[in-house]
Amino acid sequence: MKLRINAGEPRISGRLVWEQTRPSRLDLKVPLIDELLAIFRERHWVESDEEHWLTLCLDEVIVNGMLHGNEGDPQLPITLRLFDDGSRWRLLVEDQGEGFVPEDVPDPDDERSLMLEHGRGIVIMLQWLDELRYFRKGSCAMLVRAKARGDAGA
Amino acid sequence: MNRALYTIETYKYEVIWFRILKDRLLDAREIDAIGQALLHLTDMHPRLSLVLEMDKVSHMSSAMLGKLVALHKAVRRGKGRLAICNLHKSLMPLFKVTKLDKIFDMQPDAQELLLLWQRKPLLG
Repeated sequence: MKLRINAGEPRISGRLVWEQTRPSRLDLKVPLIDELLAIFRERHWVESDEEHWLTLCLDEVIVNGMLHGNEGDPQLPITLRLFDDGSRWRLLVEDQGEGFVPEDVPDPDDERSLMLEHGRGIVIMLQWLDELRYFRKGSCAMLVRAKARGDAGA
Repeated sequence: MNRALYTIETYKYEVIWFRILKDRLLDAREIDAIGQALLHLTDMHPRLSLVLEMDKVSHMSSAMLGKLVALHKAVRRGKGRLAICNLHKSLMPLFKVTKLDKIFDMQPDAQELLLLWQRKPLLG
């Protein structure tokens, strides 16, 4: 797996198009995903036959921030910021946690991981995204992918 | 809530048809409810033959994959059998990426399998 945690801060480029901060409550997850999906659809940033991949990535990164990073504490928020840097979109998701150790993430190539009931989120995101980078010991995730098409009047 | 999430039909020889009715499985409460219902079936019918029809499910989070793995283990412990039928085309890549296509029996037609398993019941 090509997962590592980067030193320093994420390089922010492009125009901020959307920003939200939400408490770590799983009942807020689906509305948050739907809000983001609406932006991607409106701007034609994702093909309709790939929307399920985007949904999966959003679900995984939000759950990771709320449940693993913030340990499900509703007092602790996650912040999401979506950027448009021309040919690509970039989503930053920040939680308040201590981060994680990449070696603790189950390796899908290890047969012993096959029967685990958790730990597939990062593998799924790596499959579809162009880039998945972590900063601040893992408490800040950056998801990057080329837009499906250019902005249509957005 | 559960009635809108799935249907269960029981046939002879503990052949059971479980059909998930939701198109998106993202809500943690719904995923837990489906996972609990599936595991309850394995508790009630250890040697069941479970046909899990997922034709309507086009979006599914990795939390639901975890429930399916737990179900697979429970069915195996009871020496029963499990098949996922009519998996939506958008979900197959998810199973391949996570390599779960290697452990699940994927079948194209739930009705055919229900008939087949009633004709060939598990013995003992």
